[in-house]
Amino acid sequence: MSQPYRRWRCLNCGFIYDEAEGSPEDGLAPGTRWEDIPEDWYCPTCGTEKIDFEMIEIG
Amino acid sequence: MISTDLANTISDPRAYADGDKVDAAFAAIRATAPLEKAQPDNYDPFWVVSRHADIMEVERQPEFFHNGDRSTFLSPRESEAMVRALTGEPNLIRSLVSVDGKEHKDLRGIVFPHVTPRALKGMEEQIRVIAREFVDHMLSFDGECDFAMDVAFLYPLRVIMTVLGVPQEDEPFMLRLTQEMFSNADPELNRAQKEVTPEEGLQNLAAVVQDLENYFGEVTKKFRANPTEHVNSLIANGMIDGEYLNHRQMMGYYIIAATAGHDTTSNTTGGAMWALAERPDLLKKMQDDPGSIAGFVEESIRWVVPVKHFMRTATQDTEIGGRKIAKDDWLMLAYQSANRDESVFDRPFDFDPTRAPNKQIAFGYGAHVCLGQHLARMEMRILWEELFPRLKSIELSGKPERTISNFVCGPKHVPIRFSAN
Repeated sequence: MSQPYRRWRCLNCGFIYDEAEGSPEDGLAPGTRWEDIPEDWYCPTCGTEKIDFEMIEIG
Repeated sequence: MISTDLANTISDPRAYADGDKVDAAFAAIRATAPLEKAQPDNYDPFWVVSRHADIMEVERQPEFFHNGDRSTFLSPRESEAMVRALTGEPNLIRSLVSVDGKEHKDLRGIVFPHVTPRALKGMEEQIRVIAREFVDHMLSFDGECDFAMDVAFLYPLRVIMTVLGVPQEDEPFMLRLTQEMFSNADPELNRAQKEVTPEEGLQNLAAVVQDLENYFGEVTKKFRANPTEHVNSLIANGMIDGEYLNHRQMMGYYIIAATAGHDTTSNTTGGAMWALAERPDLLKKMQDDPGSIAGFVEESIRWVVPVKHFMRTATQDTEIGGRKIAKDDWLMLAYQSANRDESVFDRPFDFDPTRAPNKQIAFGYGAHVCLGQHLARMEMRILWEELFPRLKSIELSGKPERTISNFVCGPKHVPIRFSAN
């Protein structure tokens, strides 16, 4: 059974990445899992980097 | 309703210059009326959002709380009317902090990719060279200087002007106009060099903005003719939906980048030195563990709160912190208060660089979070990394003074005595 989609929040600015919606403007198709986002991706609102700043699972 | 005394205090530029007075007022508000309406003399009523969590809740919903529907900073009733008469808009300057929705996103997108942590890594060495220059400058004072005037106002200015592409010979002009703009209520730094009424202050402010627009008009011509990677060139050549920015968008962008881009960092740098000079053991701790400088920077941002508030306007009936907010209500996001919120910060009135995590909210939150935050952190970290190893001791040599202002401000004089290694 597939895992339910999760959401991640940028601790710096509150931007929410929802795996179900992806971030098409950044080239992340709907359904893109957090683990599958490239390590050089950064928060599209504030620039916080995935590898440098923790993002929290909120749901 | 918040008492008139408290309402007058949190809107009074002199209370922010005092420091303790405004902190005591906000502590009382957090304890007794954390989300209530205030109506200081000469102002329209507004909600005071004093708690950290409520500010985050407002900033998380930019569609319900607009920046640009009314004045973005606390403005007396008559001043706001005068601005509308002058510009047809509620704000004198149409900048990133006074626009919403698609316009805000589009404008922000012009500069954002160039100020991410990754983009800024390429500037680290260049900024370190500037930092060393200003450390040498400080040490040339032979043991005593006014750190605010002699270093803190100048180093972030050089950094941001380098990023923008402004020649060094124009730095004194940019510093003077920035201080005239943000320190409009302070007789030492404003254009009139005296106490002014709000109406006179607004007239002076309009004259400052006109001087800045005249300057930046030439900047546009220069960078359209020869585009570079400087931020001013990005603004001059930036396009939204295939069109250059309109006059007010472009001028607003230049002005906010050039003024807020250094004054906030200058205030924080000066306040950090003030905190350091009052705590004899702190310098050695930083020297023994340079990795702790990042925590020192973050705590100094929490401590100084260089932007005291921003205002928002509700776009519809809604609810925050259990209170019903009506459409068109005006709200003060009191960062000065939120960064002292006892429910978030243990011992909020202690300067503690070891806070982890440090949830300071001085850069704001959500879509309008400060565009230059990563540059600000980086340039302050580099300055302290360069300065601390060269100092043997540091202490205050007189009484520091804060600027008289209720908006963007911090220390204007930090007299120090130091010995170098």
